[in-house]
Amino acid sequence: MAVTYMRKLEEEPETYDSNFTTLTNGINLEVHNWVLNHLKESKTILEVACGTGILASKMTTNGRNVVAIDKNFQMINHAMLHYPSNIDGKLLYQIGSFKDLPVLPNSQDIIVSTFMLSELRPFEQQIFLRNSWSALKPEGRLLISAEFVPSGLWKLGFKLKRWRYKKKLRRLRLNNTFLVKWFVKYLKPIGFKILESEKWNHGSIQALELIKTNEDNLDEPGYYSPPSKKFIGIGSQFRIFRCTLTGQVDRVPIEPGIYRSGNPTKNSPIIVTANYDFTYIKVMRNIRHIDAWVLCVDSNGINVWCAARGNDFGNDQLLEAVEATGIQKFTEKKTLILPQLSAGGVSIPQLPKKSVKFPFKVKFGPIWSKQIPEYLEENPSKKPDFMKLAKFSLSHRMRALVTHTTFLLRKVFLLPIVGFLVIFLIMLIWINKLAWIGEFISWIIISNALIAIFFPLSNFTRTFTKKGIFFGFLTSIVLGGMTWLLHMSLIFILLNVVIFFWIAFFSTMSFSGYTMATSPREIQKEYPRFKKINKFLLITGTVLSLIGIIFY
Amino acid sequence: MTETNNNSCCSPDSSSKQLNNVRILIDQQLCTGCGLCGEVCPFGLPRPMENGKFRISDVNLCTECSACKRNCPVQAITMLEQKGCGCLWDTRQRIKKKGSSNSCCS
Repeated sequence: MAVTYMRKLEEEPETYDSNFTTLTNGINLEVHNWVLNHLKESKTILEVACGTGILASKMTTNGRNVVAIDKNFQMINHAMLHYPSNIDGKLLYQIGSFKDLPVLPNSQDIIVSTFMLSELRPFEQQIFLRNSWSALKPEGRLLISAEFVPSGLWKLGFKLKRWRYKKKLRRLRLNNTFLVKWFVKYLKPIGFKILESEKWNHGSIQALELIKTNEDNLDEPGYYSPPSKKFIGIGSQFRIFRCTLTGQVDRVPIEPGIYRSGNPTKNSPIIVTANYDFTYIKVMRNIRHIDAWVLCVDSNGINVWCAARGNDFGNDQLLEAVEATGIQKFTEKKTLILPQLSAGGVSIPQLPKKSVKFPFKVKFGPIWSKQIPEYLEENPSKKPDFMKLAKFSLSHRMRALVTHTTFLLRKVFLLPIVGFLVIFLIMLIWINKLAWIGEFISWIIISNALIAIFFPLSNFTRTFTKKGIFFGFLTSIVLGGMTWLLHMSLIFILLNVVIFFWIAFFSTMSFSGYTMATSPREIQKEYPRFKKINKFLLITGTVLSLIGIIFY
Repeated sequence: MTETNNNSCCSPDSSSKQLNNVRILIDQQLCTGCGLCGEVCPFGLPRPMENGKFRISDVNLCTECSACKRNCPVQAITMLEQKGCGCLWDTRQRIKKKGSSNSCCS
């Protein structure tokens, strides 16, 4: 199924229902019937994310009271126009969201939500469940339907379809929806039990009837904490490699929430970090001898620095993490220690002060997680330089080298390489040229290695086009020497020297994002000039190299 | 911008025209010398002066991450914020799609 694509349909309320029905092959209508069949004797109903109001109006039969909310005011307008209150019952439309349900606690018989879950991120799903629990009467029921990952072989087709729609949404510059991966795990800790479930299309769409449970007679719902996750051993080492190899492309999220380092108690500090797998493993390894609560905010599987500079690690994410996890119930410590690099997203003055929901003081800790133990021990009011300055050291550059080179090979050079491979294989007389492809890949790797190792040499300028020219010359000399040893042909070197230069020039510019010390303004200013030089080098280089391939 | 003109530490006698190009500056009248900016800057650019107030030591090294501006308790820091990351791919996407980019690292 492709509920993912509803993001696009939502833009036009007029056609939403019919398009959505087409998208789900009519299953959404079956879901509506399922919901209506489960309303039973209920009198008060809240529908969250009511969309066009088509289901809300059907639910008003038998004198029921329905409140229907949606955050999209166009949808609410549309609903009021097309599906006004039924004579049998009362229907009230309102703009609102799951974050703040507009009903009294313990007031609803049923809460209905269809196809909203996949719009919510893990913490939001937990907040939705908690808020619903509070709004429901004892034994109240939550009727939910959503897109789930189907089981068995169907999973493959589902993933493929989803991937295709994801590309489509990217082109339209719309955000993707989220996979409902961990939802069922939240139910028991928060206080729900599954009464009944129904599956359509091999489980890719499911409806769940949940009942509010309260065995311990509490005033509020429980909290969910993810199970502990390994950070030492071979498996975690492979996860580290995976992140290093795919760094610039893939997000690798772990479940956001509270993790434990050692055996934390009521007096243990709270370390806040991102939910990127790599970040998690590094932090946990670095503080493994310390008892601490580790709060992973939902940074969308992105590292702290990039997430803070995007919109993935800021005040919103921090507040949401505190609300969803109830971290204040775990420890009496009232200070959150944030990574220093999250300061580009988190703004302390704008956080609520002395609020019940956020009873914390926030401090920025050290820049690298390996300094956390020392930081906790000394608790300096002013951090020493080594705890706060970003150094692009050799070990960082080596890691950046691996990530960047694999990124280039995968996203830039894969197509040309495959293209040449196919051409050489088809033109059988050229089969002896296959070695050239190997050589070409080695050029990319060597030139990137030169850039990473000798990067500090280019510190005479901050302009990346100039750095690129510097590394262009350096690479041309090294690769020229190497080619001489391999081919003993001056002409072949001369024909390829421009492509050597281009690889290094282009790679240097592409490397800019790894250095941490670049500003968007500088790069954006340089870009037009870079583009011109790049085009010239690429075209000349390709033509000359092709001559080289054909004749030598 | 022009209000901070006379008090600007980074360009004490700059005209407002030049100020438009100033990437970042700390208003000397507002600064209380709390030093939080110095704690969050990954390049150690905000440095204390003799009177205890802070100034940006080398404007050209600023990466516009906005950490200091966001966290200054008295809003003494003025910055020309430029959207985006200091990275070729983000820039390319922004120029192609005229200003918007989903995020830097994808």
